[in-house]
Amino acid sequence: MSSQHVPAVGATNDGGPETPLVVALLGNPNTGKSTLFTALAGIPTRVGNYPGVTVEEKRGRFSRAGKQIELIDLPGIYSLVPRSPDEQVAMAVLEGRQEGSPSIDCLVVLADATSLERNCYLVSQALALDLPVVVALTLVDLAADRGITIDHAELAARLGCPVIPVIAPEREGLEELADAIAEATHRSPPPAPAVQLGDIEDPQGHSPAAVEAMARYRWIEQILDGVVTRSARAGWSLEERIDAVLTHRVAGTVVFVAVMLTVFTSIFWAAAPIMDLFSGAVDGVAAFLDERLPEGAIRSLLVDGVVAGVGGVVVFLPQIALLFLFVAVLEGCGYLARAAYLMDRLLVGVGLSGRSFIPLLSSFACAIPGIMATRTIENRRDRLLTILVAPLMSCSARLPVYVLLTAAFVPNTPVAGLSWLRLPAVVLASMYALGVVVAAAVAGILSQTIFRGPSQPFLMELPGWRWPQPMVVLERVREACWSFLSSAGTLIVAVSIVVWALASYPYNAASIEADVTEHKAQLSAQLDAFATSDDEASRGLQKQLTEELALLETDEGLDAARRGAASRQSFLGQAGRLIEPVVRPLGWDWRIGCAAIASFPAREVVLGTLGVIYNLGEVDPGEEEGSNMLIRRMRAATWDGTQRPVFTLPVALSIMVFFALCAQCASTLVVIGKETGSWVWPVVTFSYMTGLAWLGALLTYQLGTLLLRG
Amino acid sequence: MTSLDRVPVGWSARVSRVVGDDPATLRLLEMGLTPGLTLRVVGSAPLGDPIELELRGYRLSIRRREAARIEVEVVEAAQVALAGV
Repeated sequence: MSSQHVPAVGATNDGGPETPLVVALLGNPNTGKSTLFTALAGIPTRVGNYPGVTVEEKRGRFSRAGKQIELIDLPGIYSLVPRSPDEQVAMAVLEGRQEGSPSIDCLVVLADATSLERNCYLVSQALALDLPVVVALTLVDLAADRGITIDHAELAARLGCPVIPVIAPEREGLEELADAIAEATHRSPPPAPAVQLGDIEDPQGHSPAAVEAMARYRWIEQILDGVVTRSARAGWSLEERIDAVLTHRVAGTVVFVAVMLTVFTSIFWAAAPIMDLFSGAVDGVAAFLDERLPEGAIRSLLVDGVVAGVGGVVVFLPQIALLFLFVAVLEGCGYLARAAYLMDRLLVGVGLSGRSFIPLLSSFACAIPGIMATRTIENRRDRLLTILVAPLMSCSARLPVYVLLTAAFVPNTPVAGLSWLRLPAVVLASMYALGVVVAAAVAGILSQTIFRGPSQPFLMELPGWRWPQPMVVLERVREACWSFLSSAGTLIVAVSIVVWALASYPYNAASIEADVTEHKAQLSAQLDAFATSDDEASRGLQKQLTEELALLETDEGLDAARRGAASRQSFLGQAGRLIEPVVRPLGWDWRIGCAAIASFPAREVVLGTLGVIYNLGEVDPGEEEGSNMLIRRMRAATWDGTQRPVFTLPVALSIMVFFALCAQCASTLVVIGKETGSWVWPVVTFSYMTGLAWLGALLTYQLGTLLLRG
Repeated sequence: MTSLDRVPVGWSARVSRVVGDDPATLRLLEMGLTPGLTLRVVGSAPLGDPIELELRGYRLSIRRREAARIEVEVVEAAQVALAGV
């Protein structure tokens, strides 16, 4: 047991400058490949995607017997016949055709001892590659629990290559495996397996590939005959009992709902205090800079552009970390596949699969961790489709928009005569339902049209139950956070700076003062016009106008008015006026259009922007005072030059529908670009969602107006 | 002779042939569903689809649509009763 505590295999590294021995790690999914990689090489030296494809490239380094060894982790696959992107990349790397990958000196093939027959399929293909091969027999402890014993010496003799049993989490067999790898180049490649195609008597018109597959299994059965022995089992094993409960119609569903509720509440609520902590720190930095720096463009750039952008990035980290913690634990213990199995039927109708469930569920908290979690979907088509519809789930950033508009404009009346069922609650629930229904429709239509292709069979291994490996789980969380920060994060900050510039320039002090003066004059004129009337409505209006004028005399009020004028005169404000004809049919005035454009960095910004445009300065719509002020100002807003209010029930609903369906979230679009490896998909997502949002808002406003009038 | 999607939960069956000659057929064969193999239908998901199989020492879930392409002969009912689960 002394080998248990060896920190890194072959720590006696003389670190010579010679070219490293390049070793590829090949194996079926769920064979403990990540665990073995971590046990051999520790933290990877390189994680990323192969150029042009969404196949993960992972490399690490260790040394043994004075040799530097470069370990390349290939994607988990069942076959080397290159059909899926994973299989194509694996084969390209093994044949030295993959751009940027070194040629392979030795191949380590993992074989799960609990299901050796199926694992030997890949082994039989690997043996034909004319490379030195070492077979690592993994999960031998689990196999022993199931009464399976394997004569690995005999297997090595029959295959013509070393077969090393390992228990990676316990570090057992790692020394032997590392030795076998280091010595690999001194051995000649094993003989190619003698797969006899003629053995299949009745090919039944199958293709040569199918006949070959059958012949390979025939060969495997011969090789393993006498090597694998199973002791007769008494009754059901613990594993089988767990499985029977967790995939049971009733018990399985109950456990599933409980697990999903835990995951969802964690990322929705438990992440909130940490996120508040992060945004508190960011606010602190912003306030610090605000005080120390002289007023001007630099301060504005740093505070409203850079710090706000960085804040907008780090705020996602708690949710990403928590979701990946759950995903890694669920995947590590084998539940992720069961969850997909339980939910598959529900999603297959709209062209998705059970694997899409957790990413879509997480998207109700935030689409960013949700889209990142689609990495667990092996099928590329399903993954892309899930990514495209995930932003339609109503995320937590939409909630403040819904809540404020509902509170301000939806009357608190009972629905269908039920005193407990109030209209605001129905409206809020409808917004969530709208996202789900539209996502189902979009997924269904896309899967029947542009994603229509040869149907991929849904074949999913349900791996055995095992304890998740803490090192593998932590590595997964670390990698998810790091990849988000390093690749998506920088771009998100850049977008934030661009939007800041558009909202701050052009800045013309003279025309801002002119705007404020004009505003004052308008208020005075209105006040004069009502001075003679003495009914109750006019008195109220007089009071309001007097208050507003008084506010303009204070520093704070004047500053807010200047900020409002600046934002209305900026490029963004001009764009708002420019698009007015487009948003007019939605019942919006140019100010709402402006706020909708300004919310491109993140949806929740729309409320803050409305605050600035309505001369409230920086109000916090999350706080009661701020939200009350904003609601009052919105209720008082009128169409330019008239007394007609802007915000009516149909307008509020049309804004809510727009925000339920639109893609006004730069971070989501950046993450879609990063995860799909192509800028086509963010453009597609933005276009189709904005189109749907506009259409939905149009229908809502026009129908709403018609119904209220009738 | 019947197809795998019609085999009741708990029963075992021997594969006679996998119908069709496309990538899906090849994938089924690669996963070990070859003619002559005896497998067991372990369960079906709460909504009826997919089904869970036990073969070659592991568990595989496939949709009924794919299972319908696999011609089998029912071998025997499971010796283990599913009572209480």
